[in-house]
Amino acid sequence: MVNQSEVEFVETIVPMDFNYNIRAGKPIEDYLRGMAQKKIMGSKCTKCGKVVIPPRNVCGVACGKMEMVEVDQTGTLQNYTIGHVKITKGLMEPVEEPVVLGMIQLDGTNSLLVSEIRGVDPKQVKKGLRVKAVWKESPEGKFDDLAYFELAS
Amino acid sequence: MRNVAIIGVGYTPVFVSKRIDVSIAEMANEAANAVFRNTGLTIDQIDAVVQGNMQPFECVNLPYLWASEHIGAVGKPVMRIATGGTTGMTTLMCAYYHVASGLYDVVLAVTWEKHSDGDAQVGLAGIVTPEIFTMVMHGLDLITGRGMGGTSGGSTGAAAYQALSYLHHSGADPEHIDKMAALERSNAALNPYAHLRKKTTVEDIQATPFISWPLRYGHTCPTTDGATACIVASEEKVKELTDGNVAWIIGVGSCTSDPCTANFIEGQITDPAEQESCRIAAKKAYEMAGIEDPSKEFDMAELYDGFAHQSLMYAEKLGLCKEGEAHKLLDKGAFNIDGELPINASGGVFSTNAIGTSAMNRPCECALQIMGKIEGEHKIPKKIKKALAHGWGGLFQYNSVMVLSDTPKKSS
Repeated sequence: MVNQSEVEFVETIVPMDFNYNIRAGKPIEDYLRGMAQKKIMGSKCTKCGKVVIPPRNVCGVACGKMEMVEVDQTGTLQNYTIGHVKITKGLMEPVEEPVVLGMIQLDGTNSLLVSEIRGVDPKQVKKGLRVKAVWKESPEGKFDDLAYFELAS
Repeated sequence: MRNVAIIGVGYTPVFVSKRIDVSIAEMANEAANAVFRNTGLTIDQIDAVVQGNMQPFECVNLPYLWASEHIGAVGKPVMRIATGGTTGMTTLMCAYYHVASGLYDVVLAVTWEKHSDGDAQVGLAGIVTPEIFTMVMHGLDLITGRGMGGTSGGSTGAAAYQALSYLHHSGADPEHIDKMAALERSNAALNPYAHLRKKTTVEDIQATPFISWPLRYGHTCPTTDGATACIVASEEKVKELTDGNVAWIIGVGSCTSDPCTANFIEGQITDPAEQESCRIAAKKAYEMAGIEDPSKEFDMAELYDGFAHQSLMYAEKLGLCKEGEAHKLLDKGAFNIDGELPINASGGVFSTNAIGTSAMNRPCECALQIMGKIEGEHKIPKKIKKALAHGWGGLFQYNSVMVLSDTPKKSS
């Protein structure tokens, strides 16, 4: 092994701009159009009847074709974590106040949605809490239109 | 199908956070040289080469193009494997398939990772950028927080959901994760090829800050530079080339599940600790190996644990004990190096994580224990007849299992 100070690193700059053109697919486009109207769109398997959000074309379990359905905006907290860090430009840094992040099963669906849960003390959070979606005031058809979840009264 | 054995293992001289004295190819070459030195074979005796690493971490691609001459692959068939965390075991399985099928007799598998050649930005460019696209295609937004970034601590944040679910199911306390972490780090202190080599107490672990509850910094693996090489051979070649002290691969299995197990893609598995793909992979490997009761028949296990709760969780999923029992066995000392069922005597992935090598070092450690060729004080005192190796990765959803033995399977 050699001493780090004895080694010169070669700095490499890649002289390119990266532009990607990703087609997310029609179900996701419909999902985002739903967001603009404060609706949560999912997809239902025509074979097994399971409902997943965000929507997709094919059911992974029954391999059936799926059709778009609107789903309920209230659900149950199935799993959670308390975030003590955030990632900025790839580096972890502590946050001032821990954040509650949860995996929510919306009523009538068979999958989970990950979101921040506000208005609940990290010490009080537990599986089974009932939560509902909170939207941005002026949705724009973007993922963050669905701003966070809060306790359902 | 033919019997196949691991006839030798070669590691880089060290596994550390920064190998600044060698390039990636030179580091892979060290491992290849080590396995030739340890087996007495030469590259002329190798029929084919399989190589593996976590493809974009160092932002280098096409290693079959530029690394071939460093790993003795020139003029031979070469294949490149990438299955995320399980890359190492998939690479070794691929070498196994080459020989078991009868197409080749002696095959070299080489895996590596040189994390220090990349940094956070390179990792983002190579890994996270494509993941952002995967997520967008699945309707999740990493940037605004409803994806993996929304878990606060990257992969640790995603694993936190799994850890919590494991605690719920098993009845274990967060302190059991601390205890497993301390055990493995202390094992690593005995292993000259481990990265974080410091005798560690439960209090040391508990002094580290939380990333995503219930996981702390002290529950997570390091990023490591290192390479591993391994040679597998057919039964005829074992007779011809070795003194017979080899480790037989008697069962293999791998399985993927719905990627939602990764927590950030939608799907119909809603419990990240369910790990059905692990059970399916294990069942296949055990059937092949003739294992009837995995809780009784293994003398040791090397399980893939990027996070400390996973050793306990996977011990249960792999049938080494009943659900909810792993933490009790930990309390009894059963998983210690001198315990009934030593788990990760090497210190595990949790202490050394050069990702490409991580899942190959599991069967390689089993093989060295079986052959009695462990260098270091983490040698298990009892005779090892049957050993279990496990890999976990892909997008959190992929599991691979390998059963190793001191005797070959009887020909059927």
